Amino acid sequence: MLRVKNLRVRIHGKAILDAISFCVQQGQTLCITGESGSGKSSLLRALNGLLPAEFERLAFHPKTSEPSELKGRWQGAPGLPGSRWVMQDPIAALNPKLPLGVSIGESVFSKSLSATELNDAVSEAMSDVELLPGLAVRRPSEVSLGQAQRACLARALVARPELIFFDEPLSALDAIVQKQVAATMRRIQMRYGTTFIIVTHDLGFAATYADHVLVLRNGKVEANQSAGNFFKSPESRYCEELLLAATELGGLPEVVPATQGPEVARSC
Amino acid sequence: MLTSSPRVAPFLFALFRRLLSLFCVLLGVSLITFAMTYFAPGDKAAAIAHARYPDVQAFPPEILEGIREEFSLNEPFFVQFFQWLFRFFQGEFGNSFASNTPVWDIFVGNVTETLSLTATALLIGLLAAFALSSVAVWRPGSLFDRTAVALASIGAAMPNYWLGLLLILLFAAHLNWLPAYGSGSPEHLVLPAITLAFWITASQTRLLRAFFLEAKSAPFVETLRLRGVSESEIFWRHILRHAAIPALTMIGLDIASLLEGTVIVELTFARGGIGSLLAGSVLSRDYPMILFLVMFSALVYVFINSLIELVQDALDPRISFLKPPKHDRSTEARS
Amino acid sequence: MTFQTQAGFSEETDLKKTKHGKDLNRFLFRLGTMVLCVLAVAVTGFLLSPYAPNSPDFLNRLSPPSQAHWLGTDQLGRDVATRLLYGGIWSIGLAFLITFAGAVMGTMIGLVAGHFGRVTDVALMRVTDSFFAFPELVAAVTIAGVLGPNTANMVFALILVGWMKFARLVRSLGIDLVHRDFVVQARLNGLPSTLILWRHILPNIGPSLLVLWTNAWSRSILSISGLSFLGFGVQPPNAEWGAMLLDGKAYMQTAPYLMIFPGLAILSCVLAINLAGDRLRDLLGSNAVGTEK
Repeated sequence: MLRVKNLRVRIHGKAILDAISFCVQQGQTLCITGESGSGKSSLLRALNGLLPAEFERLAFHPKTSEPSELKGRWQGAPGLPGSRWVMQDPIAALNPKLPLGVSIGESVFSKSLSATELNDAVSEAMSDVELLPGLAVRRPSEVSLGQAQRACLARALVARPELIFFDEPLSALDAIVQKQVAATMRRIQMRYGTTFIIVTHDLGFAATYADHVLVLRNGKVEANQSAGNFFKSPESRYCEELLLAATELGGLPEVVPATQGPEVARSC
Repeated sequence: MLTSSPRVAPFLFALFRRLLSLFCVLLGVSLITFAMTYFAPGDKAAAIAHARYPDVQAFPPEILEGIREEFSLNEPFFVQFFQWLFRFFQGEFGNSFASNTPVWDIFVGNVTETLSLTATALLIGLLAAFALSSVAVWRPGSLFDRTAVALASIGAAMPNYWLGLLLILLFAAHLNWLPAYGSGSPEHLVLPAITLAFWITASQTRLLRAFFLEAKSAPFVETLRLRGVSESEIFWRHILRHAAIPALTMIGLDIASLLEGTVIVELTFARGGIGSLLAGSVLSRDYPMILFLVMFSALVYVFINSLIELVQDALDPRISFLKPPKHDRSTEARS
Repeated sequence: MTFQTQAGFSEETDLKKTKHGKDLNRFLFRLGTMVLCVLAVAVTGFLLSPYAPNSPDFLNRLSPPSQAHWLGTDQLGRDVATRLLYGGIWSIGLAFLITFAGAVMGTMIGLVAGHFGRVTDVALMRVTDSFFAFPELVAAVTIAGVLGPNTANMVFALILVGWMKFARLVRSLGIDLVHRDFVVQARLNGLPSTLILWRHILPNIGPSLLVLWTNAWSRSILSISGLSFLGFGVQPPNAEWGAMLLDGKAYMQTAPYLMIFPGLAILSCVLAINLAGDRLRDLLGSNAVGTEK
């Protein structure tokens, strides 16, 4: 549903991302990983129109909203229609002065719902992410980090997006909450068939949840494989080292990916 | 490129940008100054005529028209503005309407009064502030420290015209130790200087105390302490140097307040000087004098602040011209 | 796929009402009560006073503080206490008006500069710098004096020289906020700029603006009284603390209370606002987006 061909981001004449091509199928999870500075987050920002990017082609074909086809230079503020973005630090991503419910409701501002419709949509999204309805009136400083991240998730979800970008969604949380939020994410994906693009440096997480893995290094694609293949036989020497290091540190569980997605053609 | 060296080019560029913005500010300052008098109500030609022929009560329209021609008062705003600006930067400030003598001469005659007052007050004020704050941070929270803080708070809220009146009441009217009004002898300088110095002490004690306290708990001072360097050596050699830069900046920013204080003090004590000259010229609508004085005070401010920025750059490599603008975040790549 | 964890609901449901927020609320409540009390006392005192602030009583000229006239009478026999209460309304009220207008003007200029960026920003900031170059009182004396010394011109002059700090603060905080994650989210979610401004930018600038405003308010009281004392502001016979000081100056030796009480009033009022502002800044410290620059 999302195909990106030859994406390039240049800042002050220096290419921080170059020749990035990948694609994601409906309902699957793509994990983007790599060391810090490899351009993971920049890629997300570029896909959301926050960095001036050049594409040979970007095609986004969601089922319900209208498709986007982009070519050449692009920097558009409202991102890709039909997609939402969950950021790394939930406290920074929520306005400290607004009750969570209002922040969540803003996500569907463009649909101009009536007050009751909006209320229903927000409470449904909140129950989807297992937030008590009473929390809607709280401000971000009055809830836990995990609850704040769930609110961010609800804000994405309330718009019924077909694609959600995640930028290190768990790294601000502690282990137990990480696990709970990850489970919630999974359940949402199952229920709504949402496509996830997750930026993470946690290979253990990628091993458990990814259908497909994209490894970046110095702004270039280092590996672009299905998760099963990647964790068995990585494409490059660098990825092997990466996996080895993660296994030694104990971050990589000895599990087979939960759902084995169909193998995606390498050429995309 | 002006030069091939990669280190010099951005430096020159930054300097150029700074000079450009300085030029813009100077232009803006002149424009505002000129607008203040241009849009003033009342017939300027009549004011000039009165200044020239003080004995004549009414003027025939031909004479007024002649004056308008002579001073180009019929020209559009920007023509008059640029004429004035060119003359100003060539050093032709014109003659005062009130006394028909060159503005510059009157200014020179008055500026020494102001300078002696400001310099004395700054000297007393800064010394007192330094002494108070350095003793205060010796034992933070002690009675002396709290007294110093309270004094600084009161000083910041003290209207200095009132303080001046109180001093006059006590030392001139009751004790008869010092002269109350006027200027000339060193005795005349004492009360005004103390009034102005009190305000300087109050504002600077507060700041210096904060800077000293911050420097005192800085990690590098802890390290020095662990190494066994004595407290007095830490203070004199390290904390002082550390606090000097921010303190300097604040004093620079306060030059405007200092000028304000001078105006009030001069008028309260009926001293000569720039402040009372300004008030007198404003009341008598002596436009050349007003233009010169307002422009002068703004130029002093701009000049001193530019100077302080330069000194800062020289003293502290961390505050650099080359520092990228803080808001340039959109292009920052994060990973 | 089964999900064994349903613990999400029980996860840290305790109220995390911060102590900090409580402190702030309590302080604001106390401050509000205090201001109301002072206002109530001032207004009732003024209404209950048997004297009018501007009506002379030539039989009781320059009488020292007594039971009939708690703070004495001035050279025209007017009751000083009544005039102080009346003058306070002028000093404090005018300062409030002036700083409010300055804050609104500065905020608008700062927002415009921050929002449109590039050329507009540079131009507006150079204008701000230019206005900044004039010592407030020098410019105010000149403008008010040239236009003609009266209350309206003084107010105009003080507004004209007082908005720049607000513009600088709002601009720098606004530019900072625009790149915060939550504003980026709002933009991606398709909120129009005006709503982003109203909901996301302004509420987060508010606390810092409030601190700066209390600071400007107390300074403005000093400026108003100072200008009136120098003869460029509120004109006699209107009671205003600075104008009363000017009146009292001539009778310094015979009736020192004429200049002591107005001065005390200015001092205590400015001190109170300053202290409240300091406390506010401490309390907002970690909450505010940026402290005063």
